[in-house]
Amino acid sequence: MSDFFRALINIISVVAIPLMFLIFLGWGLVKKVKVYEVFVEGAKDGFNVAIRIIPYLVAMLVAIGIFRASGALELMIAVLGPATNLIGMPPETLAMALMRPLSGSGSLGIMTELMKVHGPDSLIGIMASTMYGSSETTFYVLAVYFGAVGVKNTRHAVPTGLLADLAGMLAAVWICNLLF
Amino acid sequence: MLNYIWIGLILVGLFVAVGNDVTDEVRNTYRNGEVLEGTLQIQKSPSELRGSWEGELLVPKGTFNDFYGGARTDADVRLHASIAEGMDSARAILIPVSDATPRWWREMAKSGASKERLTGSVVGLQFNEDRTAARVRFTLEPVRFVKLKAITQAALDYAGTAVTIAFGLIGIMALWLGVMKVAEEAGLLLVLTRALTPVTRRLFPDVPPDHPAVGAMIMNIAANMLGLSNAATPMGLKAMEELNKLNPKVGTATNAMVTFLAINTGGLILIPATAIAVRAAAGSSNPGIIIGTSIVGAGCATIVGVVASKVLQRLPGYRKAMEVSHE
Repeated sequence: MSDFFRALINIISVVAIPLMFLIFLGWGLVKKVKVYEVFVEGAKDGFNVAIRIIPYLVAMLVAIGIFRASGALELMIAVLGPATNLIGMPPETLAMALMRPLSGSGSLGIMTELMKVHGPDSLIGIMASTMYGSSETTFYVLAVYFGAVGVKNTRHAVPTGLLADLAGMLAAVWICNLLF
Repeated sequence: MLNYIWIGLILVGLFVAVGNDVTDEVRNTYRNGEVLEGTLQIQKSPSELRGSWEGELLVPKGTFNDFYGGARTDADVRLHASIAEGMDSARAILIPVSDATPRWWREMAKSGASKERLTGSVVGLQFNEDRTAARVRFTLEPVRFVKLKAITQAALDYAGTAVTIAFGLIGIMALWLGVMKVAEEAGLLLVLTRALTPVTRRLFPDVPPDHPAVGAMIMNIAANMLGLSNAATPMGLKAMEELNKLNPKVGTATNAMVTFLAINTGGLILIPATAIAVRAAAGSSNPGIIIGTSIVGAGCATIVGVVASKVLQRLPGYRKAMEVSHE
């Protein structure tokens, strides 16, 4: 069942983009849209949007970079470590949970490292990869998406994102303990 | 809140870095000025052309770990090294950083003048009879302010990374914005939008059900679920631009934007391809086993995110931030 599901999704991911080109542009042709002209018109914005993100992304990534390089994460793990046992969370995976919202490459590195040390099919390995799959890099997404429209006052976006991350991590701990 | 998190990351980073460096200095973690002993298997002796000994430096695992006070290496340290004779018969040792370099030394090299090698001064050099090997006693260059140097380097590196990421987006942004524009003109997005109106009306009550923002948001969420992150980002940014057209107070996030981002950062994805690939590479017997658990995790994150965005938007402080002043 899970294999079938996986194969199906894999096929969809492969054909999705060519199919989208076909349907979107084909539909445009049927509706007598001047496809080339309209495409170029829309594509013009690409450059501006990408450039507009830069200051937001610099601000966010530099802060995260300083935090990561300082060793603050290790300190947090030392402080919070003892508490994680209470919820059935191996302390090794705490680094993953803390890094996930901050940095995509950082959490990928932690996941790879944990699997190398503990094995991919250990509880720690499964939990770390579940955590990786259970969330997006919240701060990166916030910087890019709000940066694109020049939003500086993000209101409740950060607490919302962090609550969602917390829920995702706790759910990952719970479901892995339940099944493995 | 982002203000506080942002400055918090930086200040905590700075304080922890200073704290770590002071601790290292007090404990002399890097054994500055202390003498380490090893043996050099000489492969090349000084000649007229070359004023140095070259060979393989061996520091036994036990010696290394005792010296640095902890499990710093899990094998004997065997590295290429050279000893050069300088003025006043002062001798310097050069140990280039390679894959075989223990992590501890690599960290030390990172904060030195040259990141590619460790340097030190030789205190004693005792050859055996046939001069094929020598006992070397040496002190490495003092290592200080490791973390402060690291955060400086990180700040500079990440500023560059941000630009690389943004530049990398230009092409795919242009591609997808072009395709989306054609779909919009052809009325295709509207078809999609209408089909999902019952859902989107509840999620985004402030957005008119037929607004182009809804179509772009649906496309973004669908692309994310299929793991097409290259397509998802441009569509998401397009959605943000459309949402911003409805924004009465440009520069401030609207309720719809926050709910949209909550769904987005929840990261609901049908196949977590990256995690599966890493698991397969690590030799897992069943790499795909995390598909189900990830869907549960991300599902919880998404639901909590959406509910939190709806609850938090009612808080007086956040409501006030949205009020438009009429002066």
